[in-house]
Amino acid sequence: MLTAEELLEFLPRTDCGQCGMTCADFAGLLLSRDLAPADCPVLHEPEYAGFIEALEELLAAAPAAARGMAIDPERCIGCGICVAMCEHHLAQVPEARAGRGPRPGDRVIFRVVNGLVRVVNQELCVRLLQAAEKCSKCAEHCPAEAITLR
Amino acid sequence: MPGPWESHICPGCACLCDDIDLVEAEQGVTVHNVCAWGAAKFLGTKKFHPGEPRRRLTAPFIRHRGRRREVGEGEALKRAVELLAQARRPVVFGLTASGCRAQEAAMALARRFRARLEPADLHLMAPYYQALLTEEIYHAPLDFLRDEADTVIYWGANPLHACPRHLTRYAFFARGRFTERGAEDRRLAAVDLHRTELARFCQVFVKTAPGRDLELIRAVHDLVAGRGAAQAVKGASRLADFLRQGEVGVIFAGRGLAYGEGARARFAALAALVRDLRPERRYFLFPLASDFNSAGLYHLLLTRLGSPGAPDFREGDPPRCHWEPVDWGEVDAVLVTGADLFWLLPEGTRRELSRRQVPVVAVGPWEDRTAAQAAVGLPAALEGIEVEEVACRQDGLPLFLRPVLPAPAPAAHQVLTRLLEISA
Repeated sequence: MLTAEELLEFLPRTDCGQCGMTCADFAGLLLSRDLAPADCPVLHEPEYAGFIEALEELLAAAPAAARGMAIDPERCIGCGICVAMCEHHLAQVPEARAGRGPRPGDRVIFRVVNGLVRVVNQELCVRLLQAAEKCSKCAEHCPAEAITLR
Repeated sequence: MPGPWESHICPGCACLCDDIDLVEAEQGVTVHNVCAWGAAKFLGTKKFHPGEPRRRLTAPFIRHRGRRREVGEGEALKRAVELLAQARRPVVFGLTASGCRAQEAAMALARRFRARLEPADLHLMAPYYQALLTEEIYHAPLDFLRDEADTVIYWGANPLHACPRHLTRYAFFARGRFTERGAEDRRLAAVDLHRTELARFCQVFVKTAPGRDLELIRAVHDLVAGRGAAQAVKGASRLADFLRQGEVGVIFAGRGLAYGEGARARFAALAALVRDLRPERRYFLFPLASDFNSAGLYHLLLTRLGSPGAPDFREGDPPRCHWEPVDWGEVDAVLVTGADLFWLLPEGTRRELSRRQVPVVAVGPWEDRTAAQAAVGLPAALEGIEVEEVACRQDGLPLFLRPVLPAPAPAAHQVLTRLLEISA
Protein backbone atom coordinates (compact mmCIF):
# COMPACT_ATOMS: atom_id res chain seq x y z
CA MET A 1 0.00 0.00 0.00
CA LEU A 2 1.27 3.46 -0.87
CA THR A 3 2.24 5.51 2.18
CA ALA A 4 2.52 9.22 2.88
CA GLU A 5 6.19 8.68 3.66
CA GLU A 6 6.79 7.28 0.16
CA LEU A 7 5.08 10.30 -1.35
CA LEU A 8 7.14 12.57 0.88
CA GLU A 9 10.28 11.27 -0.88
CA PHE A 10 9.14 13.15 -3.99
CA LEU A 11 8.22 16.39 -2.24
CA PRO A 12 10.73 19.19 -1.49
CA ARG A 13 10.67 18.46 2.29
CA THR A 14 11.60 22.04 3.02
CA ASP A 15 8.32 22.82 4.83
CA CYS A 16 8.40 26.21 3.08
CA GLY A 17 4.69 26.71 3.77
CA GLN A 18 3.88 28.09 0.28
CA CYS A 19 1.03 25.60 0.01
CA GLY A 20 -0.17 26.53 3.49
CA MET A 21 1.08 23.41 5.27
CA THR A 22 4.09 21.18 5.89
CA CYS A 23 5.33 18.71 3.31
CA ALA A 24 4.17 15.79 5.52
CA ASP A 25 0.64 17.19 5.67
CA PHE A 26 0.71 17.79 1.93
CA ALA A 27 1.69 14.15 1.40
CA GLY A 28 -1.25 13.04 3.55
CA LEU A 29 -3.63 15.09 1.44
CA LEU A 30 -2.08 13.73 -1.76
CA LEU A 31 -2.76 10.24 -0.47
CA SER A 32 -6.39 11.05 0.25
CA ARG A 33 -6.64 12.70 -3.20
CA ASP A 34 -7.63 16.02 -1.68
CA LEU A 35 -4.68 17.65 -3.41
CA ALA A 36 -2.81 16.94 -6.63
CA PRO A 37 0.99 16.98 -7.06
CA ALA A 38 0.73 20.12 -9.17
CA ASP A 39 -0.68 21.99 -6.15
CA CYS A 40 2.85 22.18 -4.72
CA PRO A 41 4.30 25.48 -6.07
CA VAL A 42 7.89 24.40 -5.46
CA LEU A 43 7.63 21.27 -7.65
CA HIS A 44 7.16 23.56 -10.65
CA GLU A 45 10.72 24.84 -10.26
CA PRO A 46 13.29 23.40 -12.72
CA GLU A 47 15.21 21.82 -9.86
CA TYR A 48 12.31 19.44 -9.28
CA ALA A 49 11.62 18.55 -12.94
CA GLY A 50 9.98 15.14 -13.21
CA PHE A 51 8.80 15.00 -9.59
CA ILE A 52 5.17 15.86 -10.44
CA GLU A 53 5.07 13.11 -13.06
CA ALA A 54 6.64 10.61 -10.65
CA LEU A 55 4.06 11.43 -7.98
CA GLU A 56 1.20 11.15 -10.47
CA GLU A 57 2.53 7.77 -11.56
CA LEU A 58 2.70 6.56 -7.94
CA LEU A 59 -0.80 7.78 -7.18
CA ALA A 60 -2.24 6.31 -10.37
CA ALA A 61 -0.81 2.89 -9.52
CA ALA A 62 -2.17 2.91 -5.97
CA PRO A 63 -5.86 2.46 -5.19
CA ALA A 64 -7.45 5.56 -3.74
CA ALA A 65 -7.13 5.48 0.02
CA ALA A 66 -10.15 6.05 2.15
CA ARG A 67 -10.47 9.61 3.34
CA GLY A 68 -8.54 10.10 6.54
CA MET A 69 -7.97 12.80 9.11
CA ALA A 70 -6.74 16.35 8.82
CA ILE A 71 -4.91 18.31 11.52
CA ASP A 72 -5.42 22.01 12.04
CA PRO A 73 -1.94 23.31 12.96
CA GLU A 74 -3.44 26.55 14.27
CA ARG A 75 -5.32 24.68 16.98
CA CYS A 76 -2.97 21.80 17.87
CA ILE A 77 -0.97 22.23 21.10
CA GLY A 78 0.96 18.98 20.82
CA CYS A 79 -0.50 17.46 24.00
CA GLY A 80 -0.24 13.99 22.43
CA ILE A 81 -3.65 12.79 23.59
CA CYS A 82 -4.38 11.51 20.06
CA VAL A 83 -1.11 9.56 20.12
CA ALA A 84 -2.05 7.94 23.44
CA MET A 85 -5.68 7.22 22.49
CA CYS A 86 -5.11 5.83 18.97
CA GLU A 87 -6.32 2.22 18.66
CA HIS A 88 -3.40 1.25 16.42
CA HIS A 89 -0.88 2.66 18.91
CA LEU A 90 -2.66 0.91 21.77
CA ALA A 91 -1.98 -2.45 20.15
CA GLN A 92 1.34 -1.82 18.42
CA VAL A 93 3.29 0.95 20.18
CA PRO A 94 4.07 0.20 23.85
CA GLU A 95 5.60 3.63 24.44
CA ALA A 96 2.43 5.44 23.34
CA ARG A 97 0.35 3.02 25.40
CA ALA A 98 2.14 4.19 28.53
CA GLY A 99 1.66 7.85 27.67
CA ARG A 100 5.19 8.37 26.39
CA GLY A 101 6.02 9.52 22.88
CA PRO A 102 6.83 6.86 20.25
CA ARG A 103 10.48 6.37 19.29
CA PRO A 104 11.64 7.61 15.87
CA GLY A 105 11.63 4.09 14.35
CA ASP A 106 8.12 3.11 15.49
CA ARG A 107 5.47 2.75 12.81
CA VAL A 108 2.82 5.11 14.05
CA ILE A 109 -0.11 7.00 12.62
CA PHE A 110 0.48 10.22 14.56
CA ARG A 111 3.71 11.75 15.68
CA VAL A 112 4.21 15.03 17.55
CA VAL A 113 6.96 16.92 15.75
CA ASN A 114 8.08 20.42 16.71
CA GLY A 115 5.05 20.82 18.95
CA LEU A 116 2.42 19.82 16.38
CA VAL A 117 0.83 16.50 15.55
CA ARG A 118 1.57 15.12 12.10
CA VAL A 119 -0.16 12.25 10.38
CA VAL A 120 2.71 10.11 9.14
CA ASN A 121 1.12 6.75 8.28
CA GLN A 122 -2.55 7.38 7.70
CA GLU A 123 -2.95 4.04 5.96
CA LEU A 124 -2.47 2.27 9.33
CA CYS A 125 -5.58 3.90 10.79
CA VAL A 126 -8.00 1.27 12.10
CA ARG A 127 -10.87 3.40 10.97
CA LEU A 128 -9.70 3.27 7.36
CA LEU A 129 -8.78 -0.40 7.38
CA GLN A 130 -11.62 -2.23 9.03
CA ALA A 131 -13.88 -0.30 11.31
CA ALA A 132 -14.73 2.75 9.35
CA GLU A 133 -17.40 4.16 11.61
CA LYS A 134 -16.25 2.75 14.89
CA CYS A 135 -12.98 4.42 15.80
CA SER A 136 -12.80 8.17 16.07
CA LYS A 137 -10.91 8.32 19.35
CA CYS A 138 -8.27 10.77 18.17
CA ALA A 139 -10.83 13.37 17.09
CA GLU A 140 -13.18 12.68 20.00
CA HIS A 141 -10.46 13.22 22.60
CA CYS A 142 -8.64 16.16 21.03
CA PRO A 143 -9.16 19.00 23.53
CA ALA A 144 -8.29 21.61 20.91
CA GLU A 145 -10.65 20.08 18.31
CA ALA A 146 -7.75 20.12 15.89
CA ILE A 147 -8.51 16.76 14.23
CA THR A 148 -11.17 16.41 11.55
CA LEU A 149 -12.19 13.00 10.30
CA ARG A 150 -13.37 13.03 6.73
CA MET B 1 24.26 16.71 18.65
CA PRO B 2 23.51 13.29 20.14
CA GLY B 3 22.11 10.45 18.03
CA PRO B 4 18.42 10.17 17.26
CA TRP B 5 17.86 7.36 19.78
CA GLU B 6 19.11 9.26 22.77
CA SER B 7 16.15 10.85 24.49
CA HIS B 8 16.36 14.27 26.06
CA ILE B 9 14.58 16.04 28.85
CA CYS B 10 12.42 18.97 27.87
CA PRO B 11 12.74 22.10 30.06
CA GLY B 12 9.48 23.49 28.66
CA CYS B 13 7.36 22.97 31.78
CA ALA B 14 7.37 21.22 35.14
CA CYS B 15 6.56 17.81 33.58
CA LEU B 16 10.21 17.65 32.42
CA CYS B 17 9.24 15.06 29.77
CA ASP B 18 12.10 12.62 29.29
CA ASP B 19 11.12 11.16 25.90
CA ILE B 20 12.20 13.98 23.62
CA ASP B 21 14.04 12.81 20.48
CA LEU B 22 16.05 15.05 18.21
CA VAL B 23 15.98 13.74 14.66
CA GLU B 24 18.05 14.96 11.75
CA ALA B 25 15.78 15.76 8.82
CA GLU B 26 16.45 17.43 5.51
CA GLN B 27 14.98 20.70 6.68
CA GLY B 28 17.12 20.63 9.81
CA VAL B 29 16.80 19.04 13.22
CA THR B 30 13.24 18.22 14.28
CA VAL B 31 12.15 17.68 17.87
CA HIS B 32 9.87 14.69 18.40
CA ASN B 33 7.33 14.17 21.21
CA VAL B 34 7.60 17.75 22.40
CA CYS B 35 4.46 19.79 23.06
CA ALA B 36 3.95 23.32 21.79
CA TRP B 37 5.40 24.80 24.99
CA GLY B 38 8.58 22.72 24.82
CA ALA B 39 8.91 23.25 21.07
CA ALA B 40 8.93 27.01 21.68
CA LYS B 41 12.04 26.56 23.84
CA PHE B 42 13.85 24.14 21.55
CA LEU B 43 13.06 26.13 18.40
CA GLY B 44 13.32 29.62 19.93
CA THR B 45 9.78 30.60 19.00
CA LYS B 46 6.98 32.34 20.87
CA LYS B 47 4.98 30.08 23.17
CA PHE B 48 1.55 31.25 22.07
CA HIS B 49 2.50 32.01 18.46
CA PRO B 50 4.38 28.98 17.13
CA GLY B 51 6.41 29.86 14.08
CA GLU B 52 7.16 33.39 15.20
CA PRO B 53 10.77 33.65 16.38
CA ARG B 54 11.29 34.93 19.91
CA ARG B 55 13.97 37.58 20.20
CA ARG B 56 17.06 36.70 22.22
CA LEU B 57 19.01 39.00 24.46
CA THR B 58 22.28 38.95 22.54
CA ALA B 59 24.60 41.38 24.32
CA PRO B 60 24.93 42.95 27.78
CA PHE B 61 23.49 46.46 27.96
CA ILE B 62 23.14 49.42 30.30
CA ARG B 63 20.30 51.92 30.09
CA HIS B 64 21.37 55.53 30.42
CA ARG B 65 18.73 58.29 30.35
CA GLY B 66 16.24 55.89 28.82
CA ARG B 67 18.54 54.71 26.06
CA ARG B 68 20.03 51.28 25.84
CA ARG B 69 23.75 51.06 25.19
CA GLU B 70 25.49 47.77 24.51
CA VAL B 71 28.54 47.36 26.74
CA GLY B 72 31.05 44.69 27.68
CA GLU B 73 30.06 42.03 30.19
CA GLY B 74 32.42 43.46 32.86
CA GLU B 75 30.88 46.92 32.69
CA ALA B 76 27.32 45.57 32.85
CA LEU B 77 28.17 43.33 35.81
CA LYS B 78 29.81 46.25 37.63
CA ARG B 79 26.78 48.49 37.06
CA ALA B 80 24.41 45.75 38.25
CA VAL B 81 26.39 45.32 41.46
CA GLU B 82 26.36 49.10 42.04
CA LEU B 83 22.57 49.26 41.65
CA LEU B 84 21.95 46.35 43.99
CA ALA B 85 24.50 47.51 46.57
CA GLN B 86 23.01 51.05 46.69
CA ALA B 87 19.47 49.77 47.26
CA ARG B 88 17.88 49.68 50.70
CA ARG B 89 15.18 47.14 49.81
CA PRO B 90 16.52 45.00 46.95
CA VAL B 91 14.61 41.95 45.73
CA VAL B 92 15.84 38.89 43.80
CA PHE B 93 12.76 37.83 41.82
CA GLY B 94 11.78 34.80 39.72
CA LEU B 95 13.91 31.64 39.74
CA THR B 96 11.07 29.20 39.00
CA ALA B 97 12.31 28.87 35.41
CA SER B 98 15.97 28.65 36.48
CA GLY B 99 18.05 25.54 37.07
CA CYS B 100 19.06 24.45 40.58
CA ARG B 101 22.59 25.84 40.16
CA ALA B 102 21.26 29.28 39.23
CA GLN B 103 18.86 29.15 42.18
CA GLU B 104 21.71 28.43 44.59
CA ALA B 105 23.76 31.28 43.15
CA ALA B 106 20.75 33.61 43.41
CA MET B 107 20.24 32.72 47.04
CA ALA B 108 23.92 33.47 47.77
CA LEU B 109 23.46 36.79 45.97
CA ALA B 110 20.34 37.62 47.99
CA ARG B 111 22.31 36.89 51.16
CA ARG B 112 25.19 39.11 50.02
CA PHE B 113 22.97 42.10 49.18
CA ARG B 114 20.69 41.46 52.17
CA ALA B 115 17.84 41.20 49.70
CA ARG B 116 14.52 39.42 49.73
CA LEU B 117 14.31 36.34 47.50
CA GLU B 118 10.87 36.30 45.92
CA PRO B 119 9.81 33.15 44.01
CA ALA B 120 7.63 33.96 40.99
CA ASP B 121 4.91 31.53 42.14
CA LEU B 122 5.11 32.14 45.90
CA HIS B 123 1.33 32.45 46.20
CA LEU B 124 0.81 28.97 44.72
CA MET B 125 3.64 26.80 45.98
CA ALA B 126 4.43 28.18 49.44
CA PRO B 127 0.92 27.49 50.84
CA TYR B 128 1.08 23.96 49.42
CA TYR B 129 4.43 23.13 51.01
CA GLN B 130 3.29 24.67 54.27
CA ALA B 131 0.16 22.51 54.15
CA LEU B 132 2.39 19.50 53.44
CA LEU B 133 4.37 20.28 56.61
CA THR B 134 1.46 21.07 58.90
CA GLU B 135 -1.62 19.18 57.68
CA GLU B 136 -0.27 15.61 57.63
CA ILE B 137 -0.92 15.02 53.96
CA TYR B 138 1.16 12.63 51.87
CA HIS B 139 3.46 13.32 48.98
CA ALA B 140 3.50 10.92 45.99
CA PRO B 141 5.59 10.77 42.82
CA LEU B 142 3.80 11.29 39.53
CA ASP B 143 4.62 7.71 38.47
CA PHE B 144 2.71 6.39 41.47
CA LEU B 145 -0.29 8.55 40.58
CA ARG B 146 -0.13 7.30 36.98
CA ASP B 147 -0.12 3.69 38.20
CA GLU B 148 -2.75 3.95 40.91
CA ALA B 149 -4.92 7.07 40.87
CA ASP B 150 -8.46 6.31 39.72
CA THR B 151 -9.86 9.72 40.63
CA VAL B 152 -8.33 12.95 39.35
CA ILE B 153 -9.46 16.49 40.12
CA TYR B 154 -8.06 19.71 38.69
CA TRP B 155 -9.00 22.58 40.98
CA GLY B 156 -8.34 26.03 39.53
CA ALA B 157 -5.96 24.43 37.06
CA ASN B 158 -5.99 23.81 33.33
CA PRO B 159 -3.19 21.36 32.57
CA LEU B 160 -3.60 21.90 28.84
CA HIS B 161 -2.35 25.44 29.30
CA ALA B 162 0.07 24.89 32.21
CA CYS B 163 1.70 21.57 31.23
CA PRO B 164 0.15 20.31 27.95
CA ARG B 165 1.34 16.69 28.32
CA HIS B 166 0.32 16.32 31.97
CA LEU B 167 -2.94 14.52 31.13
CA THR B 168 -1.25 12.22 28.65
CA ARG B 169 1.82 11.31 30.66
CA TYR B 170 0.63 11.09 34.25
CA ALA B 171 -2.87 12.11 35.10
CA PHE B 172 -5.69 10.81 32.93
CA PHE B 173 -4.82 9.10 29.65
CA ALA B 174 -1.59 7.32 30.65
CA ARG B 175 -1.93 3.61 31.31
CA GLY B 176 -0.28 2.37 34.47
CA ARG B 177 -0.05 -0.79 36.53
CA PHE B 178 -3.54 -0.57 38.03
CA THR B 179 -4.94 1.77 35.41
CA GLU B 180 -4.36 -0.45 32.41
CA ARG B 181 -7.20 1.01 30.38
CA GLY B 182 -6.04 4.59 30.93
CA ALA B 183 -8.90 7.06 30.78
CA GLU B 184 -11.47 4.25 31.05
CA ASP B 185 -10.07 3.29 34.45
CA ARG B 186 -10.21 6.83 35.77
CA ARG B 187 -12.74 9.49 36.59
CA LEU B 188 -11.98 13.16 36.10
CA ALA B 189 -13.46 16.27 37.67
CA ALA B 190 -12.55 19.93 37.39
CA VAL B 191 -13.40 23.11 39.26
CA ASP B 192 -12.81 26.35 37.43
CA LEU B 193 -14.16 29.83 36.86
CA HIS B 194 -14.82 29.14 33.19
CA ARG B 195 -15.77 26.06 31.26
CA THR B 196 -12.38 24.85 30.01
CA GLU B 197 -11.35 22.26 27.42
CA LEU B 198 -11.12 19.76 30.29
CA ALA B 199 -14.92 19.73 30.55
CA ARG B 200 -15.20 17.32 27.61
CA PHE B 201 -13.42 14.60 29.64
CA CYS B 202 -14.97 15.35 33.02
CA GLN B 203 -17.63 13.35 34.85
CA VAL B 204 -18.11 16.37 37.10
CA PHE B 205 -17.33 19.96 36.10
CA VAL B 206 -18.09 22.62 38.68
CA LYS B 207 -18.11 26.22 37.55
CA THR B 208 -17.37 28.37 40.56
CA ALA B 209 -17.34 32.13 41.10
CA PRO B 210 -14.32 34.26 41.99
CA GLY B 211 -13.60 34.15 45.72
CA ARG B 212 -16.01 31.24 46.38
CA ASP B 213 -13.45 28.41 46.41
CA LEU B 214 -12.99 28.32 50.18
CA GLU B 215 -16.74 28.08 50.68
CA LEU B 216 -16.93 25.22 48.18
CA ILE B 217 -13.99 23.34 49.74
CA ARG B 218 -15.51 23.61 53.22
CA ALA B 219 -18.94 22.49 51.99
CA VAL B 220 -17.41 19.46 50.23
CA HIS B 221 -15.40 18.70 53.38
CA ASP B 222 -18.52 18.82 55.55
CA LEU B 223 -20.40 16.52 53.19
CA VAL B 224 -17.52 14.05 52.94
CA ALA B 225 -17.19 14.00 56.73
CA GLY B 226 -20.93 13.35 57.01
CA ARG B 227 -21.59 16.59 58.87
CA GLY B 228 -23.97 18.00 56.28
CA ALA B 229 -23.03 21.28 54.63
CA ALA B 230 -23.67 24.36 56.72
CA GLN B 231 -25.03 26.06 53.64
CA ALA B 232 -25.88 24.86 50.15
CA VAL B 233 -23.06 25.53 47.71
CA LYS B 234 -23.58 24.80 44.04
CA GLY B 235 -21.66 21.69 42.95
CA ALA B 236 -20.58 20.65 46.47
CA SER B 237 -22.69 17.49 46.69
CA ARG B 238 -21.65 16.32 43.20
CA LEU B 239 -18.00 16.82 44.11
CA ALA B 240 -18.39 15.13 47.50
CA ASP B 241 -20.01 12.08 45.86
CA PHE B 242 -17.28 12.03 43.25
CA LEU B 243 -14.55 12.07 45.93
CA ARG B 244 -16.23 9.42 48.05
CA GLN B 245 -16.39 6.99 45.12
CA GLY B 246 -12.60 7.04 44.56
CA GLU B 247 -10.06 4.66 46.09
CA VAL B 248 -6.85 6.43 45.16
CA GLY B 249 -7.23 10.04 44.16
CA VAL B 250 -5.31 13.20 43.52
CA ILE B 251 -6.30 16.86 43.58
CA PHE B 252 -4.11 19.01 41.36
CA ALA B 253 -4.41 22.57 42.63
CA GLY B 254 -3.57 25.34 40.20
CA ARG B 255 -3.01 29.05 40.13
CA GLY B 256 -6.74 29.65 40.23
CA LEU B 257 -6.68 28.75 43.93
CA ALA B 258 -3.71 30.97 44.62
CA TYR B 259 -4.98 34.29 43.25
CA GLY B 260 -6.22 36.91 45.65
CA GLU B 261 -6.32 37.01 49.42
CA GLY B 262 -6.54 33.84 51.46
CA ALA B 263 -4.48 31.41 49.38
CA ARG B 264 -3.09 29.84 52.57
CA ALA B 265 -6.57 29.29 53.97
CA ARG B 266 -7.72 27.67 50.74
CA PHE B 267 -4.73 25.32 50.63
CA ALA B 268 -5.13 24.50 54.33
CA ALA B 269 -8.83 23.70 53.77
CA LEU B 270 -8.03 21.54 50.75
CA ALA B 271 -5.30 19.75 52.72
CA ALA B 272 -7.74 19.12 55.58
CA LEU B 273 -10.24 17.67 53.07
CA VAL B 274 -7.57 15.37 51.61
CA ARG B 275 -6.46 14.32 55.12
CA ASP B 276 -10.01 13.48 56.20
CA LEU B 277 -10.69 11.46 53.07
CA ARG B 278 -7.75 9.26 53.98
CA PRO B 279 -8.85 6.63 56.46
CA GLU B 280 -10.85 4.77 53.82
CA ARG B 281 -9.20 6.13 50.70
CA ARG B 282 -5.78 7.35 49.66
CA TYR B 283 -5.91 10.93 48.45
CA PHE B 284 -3.07 13.28 47.50
CA LEU B 285 -2.80 17.01 46.98
CA PHE B 286 -0.47 18.35 44.33
CA PRO B 287 0.21 21.88 43.08
CA LEU B 288 0.27 22.20 39.31
CA ALA B 289 3.41 24.28 38.89
CA SER B 290 4.09 25.23 35.32
CA ASP B 291 7.64 26.66 35.33
CA PHE B 292 10.18 23.91 34.81
CA ASN B 293 12.05 24.09 38.11
CA SER B 294 9.57 25.50 40.56
CA ALA B 295 9.90 22.39 42.76
CA GLY B 296 13.70 22.80 42.79
CA LEU B 297 13.41 26.28 44.26
CA TYR B 298 11.17 25.14 47.10
CA HIS B 299 13.47 22.19 47.81
CA LEU B 300 16.30 24.69 48.12
CA LEU B 301 14.29 26.93 50.45
CA LEU B 302 13.16 24.00 52.57
CA THR B 303 16.57 22.33 52.81
CA ARG B 304 18.56 25.52 53.45
CA LEU B 305 16.11 27.60 55.46
CA GLY B 306 13.45 25.17 56.65
CA SER B 307 10.57 27.20 55.29
CA PRO B 308 8.98 27.51 51.83
CA GLY B 309 8.24 31.23 52.32
CA ALA B 310 10.15 34.09 50.68
CA PRO B 311 13.30 34.72 52.76
CA ASP B 312 14.22 38.31 53.54
CA PHE B 313 17.94 38.51 54.41
CA ARG B 314 17.56 42.15 55.43
CA GLU B 315 15.93 40.97 58.61
CA GLY B 316 18.91 38.85 59.65
CA ASP B 317 20.47 35.52 58.82
CA PRO B 318 18.81 33.02 59.13
CA PRO B 319 16.19 35.20 57.49
CA ARG B 320 12.54 35.66 58.27
CA CYS B 321 10.38 33.92 55.67
CA HIS B 322 7.29 35.67 54.33
CA TRP B 323 4.07 34.17 53.01
CA GLU B 324 2.57 37.26 51.49
CA PRO B 325 3.97 38.67 48.22
CA VAL B 326 6.45 41.51 48.58
CA ASP B 327 5.14 45.06 48.84
CA TRP B 328 6.44 46.47 45.55
CA GLY B 329 5.92 50.00 46.85
CA GLU B 330 8.95 49.55 49.15
CA VAL B 331 11.27 47.87 46.67
CA ASP B 332 14.04 50.04 45.24
CA ALA B 333 16.02 47.56 43.09
CA VAL B 334 15.19 44.19 41.52
CA LEU B 335 17.33 41.44 40.08
CA VAL B 336 15.16 39.26 37.84
CA THR B 337 16.14 35.84 36.56
CA GLY B 338 14.06 32.81 35.61
CA ALA B 339 10.81 34.76 35.18
CA ASP B 340 9.40 37.73 33.32
CA LEU B 341 8.55 40.14 36.15
CA PHE B 342 6.85 42.77 34.01
CA TRP B 343 4.64 40.13 32.39
CA LEU B 344 3.56 38.72 35.77
CA LEU B 345 2.87 41.95 37.65
CA PRO B 346 -0.52 43.68 37.55
CA GLU B 347 -0.63 46.73 35.30
CA GLY B 348 -0.83 49.21 38.21
CA THR B 349 2.26 47.80 39.94
CA ARG B 350 4.15 47.75 36.66
CA ARG B 351 3.40 51.41 36.06
CA GLU B 352 4.33 52.29 39.62
CA LEU B 353 7.73 50.59 39.31
CA SER B 354 8.36 52.41 36.03
CA ARG B 355 7.21 55.74 37.48
CA ARG B 356 9.57 55.42 40.45
CA GLN B 357 12.33 54.31 38.05
CA VAL B 358 13.16 51.30 40.18
CA PRO B 359 16.32 49.86 38.60
CA VAL B 360 15.88 46.34 37.25
CA VAL B 361 18.75 43.97 36.46
CA ALA B 362 17.57 41.31 34.02
CA VAL B 363 19.53 38.07 33.65
CA GLY B 364 18.05 35.76 31.05
CA PRO B 365 17.97 34.48 27.50
CA TRP B 366 15.03 36.48 26.10
CA GLU B 367 14.22 40.03 25.06
CA ASP B 368 11.11 39.93 27.23
CA ARG B 369 9.06 42.67 28.89
CA THR B 370 11.46 42.76 31.86
CA ALA B 371 14.51 43.20 29.59
CA ALA B 372 12.65 46.01 27.82
CA GLN B 373 12.40 47.91 31.14
CA ALA B 374 15.75 46.85 32.60
CA ALA B 375 18.51 49.24 33.63
CA VAL B 376 21.05 46.46 33.08
CA GLY B 377 20.61 43.40 30.88
CA LEU B 378 22.84 40.34 31.03
CA PRO B 379 22.24 37.59 28.47
CA ALA B 380 22.22 33.98 29.63
CA ALA B 381 22.01 30.67 27.79
CA LEU B 382 18.90 28.50 27.72
CA GLU B 383 19.19 26.06 30.58
CA GLY B 384 18.74 22.42 29.60
CA ILE B 385 19.05 23.25 25.90
CA GLU B 386 22.25 25.26 25.52
CA VAL B 387 23.90 24.60 28.88
CA GLU B 388 23.64 21.75 31.35
CA GLU B 389 21.59 22.23 34.48
CA VAL B 390 19.77 20.32 37.17
CA ALA B 391 16.02 20.64 37.65
CA CYS B 392 13.36 19.00 39.81
CA ARG B 393 10.21 17.63 38.20
CA GLN B 394 6.84 18.73 39.53
CA ASP B 395 6.96 15.92 42.10
CA GLY B 396 10.51 16.75 43.21
CA LEU B 397 12.44 14.16 41.17
CA PRO B 398 15.85 15.72 40.41
CA LEU B 399 16.93 15.36 36.77
CA PHE B 400 20.08 16.33 34.91
CA LEU B 401 19.43 18.35 31.76
CA ARG B 402 22.01 17.93 29.01
CA PRO B 403 22.74 20.63 26.44
CA VAL B 404 21.87 19.93 22.80
CA LEU B 405 22.78 23.21 21.15
CA PRO B 406 25.84 25.49 21.42
CA ALA B 407 25.50 28.28 23.97
CA PRO B 408 25.65 31.88 22.69
CA ALA B 409 25.96 33.23 26.25
CA PRO B 410 27.16 32.02 29.66
CA ALA B 411 24.84 30.02 31.92
CA ALA B 412 22.70 32.05 34.34
CA HIS B 413 24.49 30.52 37.35
CA GLN B 414 27.83 31.71 35.93
CA VAL B 415 26.50 35.25 35.50
CA LEU B 416 25.10 35.28 39.05
CA THR B 417 28.36 33.88 40.46
CA ARG B 418 30.30 36.63 38.65
CA LEU B 419 28.00 39.21 40.26
CA LEU B 420 28.75 37.63 43.62
CA GLU B 421 32.51 37.71 43.00
CA ILE B 422 32.47 41.36 41.92
CA SER B 423 30.42 42.38 44.93
CA ALA B 424 32.88 40.74 47.36
